Amino acid sequence: MESSGIHPTPDEAAAALLDAGSARDQLAHRLTLPSWFYTSICLAIVVQIATLAVGVADQTSAGIGLAVAGLVPFVLVAVVQLVRFRRLNGVWVGGLASRVVFGGDAAASTVYFLAMGAAIWAAFEERWWLVGLCAIAGGVGYALCGVRWMRSYRGDPAAHSRGESVLLLVILVVPVLAGAVLLVGAS
Amino acid sequence: MGELNRHLLAPARLKLTTMLTAVSEVEFAVLRDGLGVSDSVLSKHVATLADAGYVRSRKGTHEGRRTTWVSLSPTGRKVLRDHVAVLREIIDGVD
Repeated sequence: MESSGIHPTPDEAAAALLDAGSARDQLAHRLTLPSWFYTSICLAIVVQIATLAVGVADQTSAGIGLAVAGLVPFVLVAVVQLVRFRRLNGVWVGGLASRVVFGGDAAASTVYFLAMGAAIWAAFEERWWLVGLCAIAGGVGYALCGVRWMRSYRGDPAAHSRGESVLLLVILVVPVLAGAVLLVGAS
Repeated sequence: MGELNRHLLAPARLKLTTMLTAVSEVEFAVLRDGLGVSDSVLSKHVATLADAGYVRSRKGTHEGRRTTWVSLSPTGRKVLRDHVAVLREIIDGVD
């Protein structure tokens, strides 16, 4: 550390910290989400869970195609909303991308996988109304976890701003995409 | 008690680095407006902190125009944490 050998008074130190913290909090509070942010993510997850459940239960090549196709609206919504957020605010917040949009938040992941599991079971049982209900519950829960994350972020921006590293995201996403391509190819 | 970092003694630089903890990357104009300084003053602060390895700056685009994006480096994050800890010790009156 490049030391200064200078020590401000306690009052000066307190004022400097207060000023810096205030600037950071103002920046975090000024950030606005693009229109239809949570709604579009909710709908994309609803479509994704429903198509995945129906596709898996169908157990034909068309079903696999449907399950993979359900990823497309989600990817489109994610990319468009993140680009809009960046344009709107002039900032990139990794935590928003990984926790809110891509479901890296533990609660969002839990809600998503529970809803997906229940929807797949319901599809095998051919209870289509329950597939829809599970998909809607998953989408709404996923979006509400995003709302909760945003509140936490505004309360303590420094603790929540960072997302997972790009390397980790690549490690997680590449096998999923490769699996989807292999499934479509095999079918 | 630890020592304060000389690069972060200027209030504007402490503010700048603290603001960067709220985001992964920020556009130059947003940072300038948040700090309430001119382009040239911010450029000097960013250049000094980039030379010290505390921030990263890269050329990019925003709303169709060329601009600079600034982020806090892992070194900068650690240095800021240490600097803030020393300031807190001063506030608490720890010798």
